[in-house]
Amino acid sequence: MIPLNYYLLFAAFLFSVGVVGVLIRRNAIIVFMCIELMLNSVNLTFIAFSAFMGNAIGQMFVFFVMTVAAAEAAVGLAIIIALFRNKKTINIDQINLLKW
Amino acid sequence: MNNNFLNIGILTWMTFIPVVGMIAVLLVPKEQKTTIRWISLGATIVQLIFSVIIYTNFDRSLAGVNNAATMQFVERYSWIDIKSVEWFGRIHIEYFLGIDGISVPMVLLTALISFVAVLSSWSIEKSIKGYFALLLLLDTGMMGVFVSLDFFLFYVFWEIMLLPMYFLIGIWGGPRREYAAIKFFIYTLFGSVLMLLVLIALYFSVSIPDASTGELVHTFDMIAMMNPANYEANSLLFGLNTSWRYIAYVGLFIGFAIKVPIFPFHTWLPDAHVEAPTAISVILAGVLLKMGTYGLMRVAMPIFPDAAIYYLYPLAFLGFINIVYGALCAMAQTDFKKLIAYSSVSHMGIVLLGMAALNTQGMIGAMFQMFNHGTITAMLFLIVGVIYDRTHTRGLNDFGGLMNQMPKYSAIMVIAFFAALGLPGLSGFVSEVFSFLGAFQTFRWITIASTLGIVLTAGYMLWTLQRVFLGELPEKWKSLTDINNRELIMLVPLAIIVILLGVYPTPILDLMNASANELVDFIKGENNLTILGQ
Amino acid sequence: MLEQVYNSLQFIKPELILVGTLLVSIIVDLIFKNKKVVVAFVILGLVLSFYYLTFLNSINQLIFFNMYAIDPFAYFFKIFLLVATIGIVLFSVLSKEISDLKSREGEFYYFLVALTIGMFLMTSSTNLIMMYLAIELTSLTSYMLAGFMKEEKSSSEASLKYVLYGAFSSGMMLYGISIIYGLTGSFDLLAINMAIADGVSSLALLISTVLMFVGFGYKISAVPFHFWTPDVYEGSPISVTTILSVASKAAGFSMLMRTAKIMFIDPYAAPTVNDWQIIDSVPIVEILTILSVLTMTLGNLVAIWQSNLKRLLAYSSIAHAGYLLLGVLTMNNEGYSATLIYFVTYLFMNVGAFLIVMLVSNKLNSSDIDSYKGLGMKSPFIGVMFALFLISLTGLPPTAGFVGKLYIFAALVNKKLILLAVIGVLNSVVSLYYYVRIFRNMFLRESDIETPEIKLSLAEKLLILVFAIPTIGLGLYFAPLVEFAHASVEIFSGN
Repeated sequence: MIPLNYYLLFAAFLFSVGVVGVLIRRNAIIVFMCIELMLNSVNLTFIAFSAFMGNAIGQMFVFFVMTVAAAEAAVGLAIIIALFRNKKTINIDQINLLKW
Repeated sequence: MNNNFLNIGILTWMTFIPVVGMIAVLLVPKEQKTTIRWISLGATIVQLIFSVIIYTNFDRSLAGVNNAATMQFVERYSWIDIKSVEWFGRIHIEYFLGIDGISVPMVLLTALISFVAVLSSWSIEKSIKGYFALLLLLDTGMMGVFVSLDFFLFYVFWEIMLLPMYFLIGIWGGPRREYAAIKFFIYTLFGSVLMLLVLIALYFSVSIPDASTGELVHTFDMIAMMNPANYEANSLLFGLNTSWRYIAYVGLFIGFAIKVPIFPFHTWLPDAHVEAPTAISVILAGVLLKMGTYGLMRVAMPIFPDAAIYYLYPLAFLGFINIVYGALCAMAQTDFKKLIAYSSVSHMGIVLLGMAALNTQGMIGAMFQMFNHGTITAMLFLIVGVIYDRTHTRGLNDFGGLMNQMPKYSAIMVIAFFAALGLPGLSGFVSEVFSFLGAFQTFRWITIASTLGIVLTAGYMLWTLQRVFLGELPEKWKSLTDINNRELIMLVPLAIIVILLGVYPTPILDLMNASANELVDFIKGENNLTILGQ
Repeated sequence: MLEQVYNSLQFIKPELILVGTLLVSIIVDLIFKNKKVVVAFVILGLVLSFYYLTFLNSINQLIFFNMYAIDPFAYFFKIFLLVATIGIVLFSVLSKEISDLKSREGEFYYFLVALTIGMFLMTSSTNLIMMYLAIELTSLTSYMLAGFMKEEKSSSEASLKYVLYGAFSSGMMLYGISIIYGLTGSFDLLAINMAIADGVSSLALLISTVLMFVGFGYKISAVPFHFWTPDVYEGSPISVTTILSVASKAAGFSMLMRTAKIMFIDPYAAPTVNDWQIIDSVPIVEILTILSVLTMTLGNLVAIWQSNLKRLLAYSSIAHAGYLLLGVLTMNNEGYSATLIYFVTYLFMNVGAFLIVMLVSNKLNSSDIDSYKGLGMKSPFIGVMFALFLISLTGLPPTAGFVGKLYIFAALVNKKLILLAVIGVLNSVVSLYYYVRIFRNMFLRESDIETPEIKLSLAEKLLILVFAIPTIGLGLYFAPLVEFAHASVEIFSGN
């Protein structure tokens, strides 16, 4: 059987990819996809722990995370469309009306 | 002795009559300028009458200070009472007013100066309604500070003054008014937040048994804070000569020192004085500065006698710096108001020196100097105001030869200047002599060095008189009119007080004698504690 | 099992009424052209919910299989949230931004109800799943509210920033939750607490705690998770800014406080009266201290440079979050009750200040600090009231803001955290500087351009007074407030 640590390290790696993506990518949709990647790595962690501990509640959380992620994507994409109509761009660097 | 009027204590009346006046002023339409002026004057006259009643009814033999039983005109009501929970004791804040020999002269001074300030504001035209409303609110704050014996109440009044003062300088002031106003505000708030922390620490350290149930209740009562037996064991400020007590004393001291102002916290004062309108300068110099030294006498020293004694030498040294530094700065000024502002720094130094002496002469000298400086400096600022109204300049070098042009004005000004430089026969002399005599017994060398300040003061005062009155009258001032009746009404009473107290100081000395003795004895205590640097 | 669900239902009547209000007002919105009907309906629902809430004042019970707490602490925050929401509904009725939405105006109000439901859930959750769902419900609604004026560039931009930061930090928080789950095998706060007390890997625990605090920090806009705050506050409609700065912050704090108290307190330590024994392996106090000092200092310092009043108040609300964290980090009943007291005072003064900004921008179409020049002289009522709210925000007596600060600093001094108290008071001196800039513009300066005099309607004046009277009243007599706050944290006594 594959040890738990492999799953965790893989999830951590995925999570880091997501975080780095959010920080360096400039396209709002790609940033969003990176956030989804973060959420999925979390799901993986949950499932791995759940399977190894024989405790089903972790898998239950995964369902909630998936649902919420879908809702979040719906709202997020709607907002991106609204912004695109106003500014004709979804590049985060050009979304700079509000600044300190 | 009947201290009540319509079932409300006389001190409450004195404190809140200006608020009543303020509300009345706010209700009057802003076109009726004369009505607004008279309402304000009326409020301060009533306050003055109450202060005369207090003066006549005050029992001069009772000391007060750390003893609630010998406080007079006491009013004590429960204000906020929050029942205790298992993990937090009962919170009890009182509306606790009372006066003793330390506060009576200040109460009289406040009433007098407020009255004079309203009179000298007669010519204000810009947003007159707001001006008088704020002035009256300021009056309440000042009076409240001098009559409250509950530290929380004291702090509330202390802070209430900030905002009116900010607006009075900021709206009706001179060209750099914005800068001066914000500087005043930030400095004073900085001091008072430190005071707030000490206030909280004291609250948690002191507890007294409740009169009816006997449970221990934390309290803001200043008099209870003065009794070491009320400090809970293991509380932050328990014991004597602990480092926390020293820190707390320094915190309070900075709060009060900024108001006095003591070097190096004095830089707001010249700015505020120069920019403020005449009446506000009068209040600032006449009353507000006294709050600092009053706070030291009423709060800081009796609550932390050990720390007060420990820091006595630095206090005297700061007094010395104030005296000499203030005088030197005053000498270099060409702006009339700045000169008086720095002379205030110098004169407040004498109060500090007298206080630091920690003997009866010194303490009486300090208290009396507070009163005298209030009246004399008020006169000086009014005098500047009179000439500024006519010439719109305060540059000392612009004047000359006014003696012949304005004889009545010159006479008053000479009295004020001579009083300020400490000429025998005028009130300033008496208090300065007392202060220096007292200080000489405790700090020989500092006192001798400080007398240099007296010489300097005489120097710049006389030099100013010479620059303003002697010499050629410049062509442009040929049409100047002499002082008018309204201006005389505000200056003459002050001049009379200055002369009278110079010849016969007993009426005021009497008031504070018992309290000054008690205060000194109490701070000294039985044990002789170490003084830093000696 | 069904029986417990059924029994639990009676305790969540206020929430159920809100859900009902939400659903029915969607239908009402479709039927009626006049959107004020929706407003009336929403207010009715909120008041009804308030009425049923008052029956729960002394109940202390865990319902729905320990997922949801009905206790005085949650009660306090629910009362707070309802008062805030009702205030903001009234506030929005007067807002030109909102009434200009025309056909979409009704939506705005039932989104506010949805937001309130989310915040209710946040205050009561005792299970990480519930907490996550509550946060997401609140966040999703807030994203939509922030971008509600979708035709405005700044509003849609604000909402995009909000959604990106929000989703990112909730991802972080989830990762933290997943590690905690791996360490303890549970989502229930009490069970997690026991597991932590029995000993777990402290490095993993530290990482997961920090990650969870990213989520909380984002909700309460603590530095360094505050980057969304100024942009969102500036870009959103002012009513939304207000509710985010008051209600959603309060909900975030209630969750943070509950979690900190339940998760990290040593259940094996000897019972104490006031101070709580914290499990050694988690540096929770240190984390909170760093957050708090950074938050108030940076909030205050950056606020000095702002020229837009909404942005200035955004930074000021960041700074206030720092003061509130000071109360939390004392980790005792006294500090917690001080935080509660501070919140109530903050509600009145902050909503009042935003109300004035909103009314002025209704008339002048600007919330730039320069457009306030000479305002105090021209419209004395607005000037004086705004000054009152700002004084209270600075924390000068005799206003409510002083009472809040007094209790926070009292809690610190009593715990002998003198240095933190000194940092706190110095911060309030700094804050004076930028609040005074507003006074200065209102009273000390003349307007350079001709601005119309601002005439307020009676309703507008009354609403200002609704916030102004408690601001001064609580400053003069605060006994009931303090007693309420004390009673609300009573359940947290000791360990």
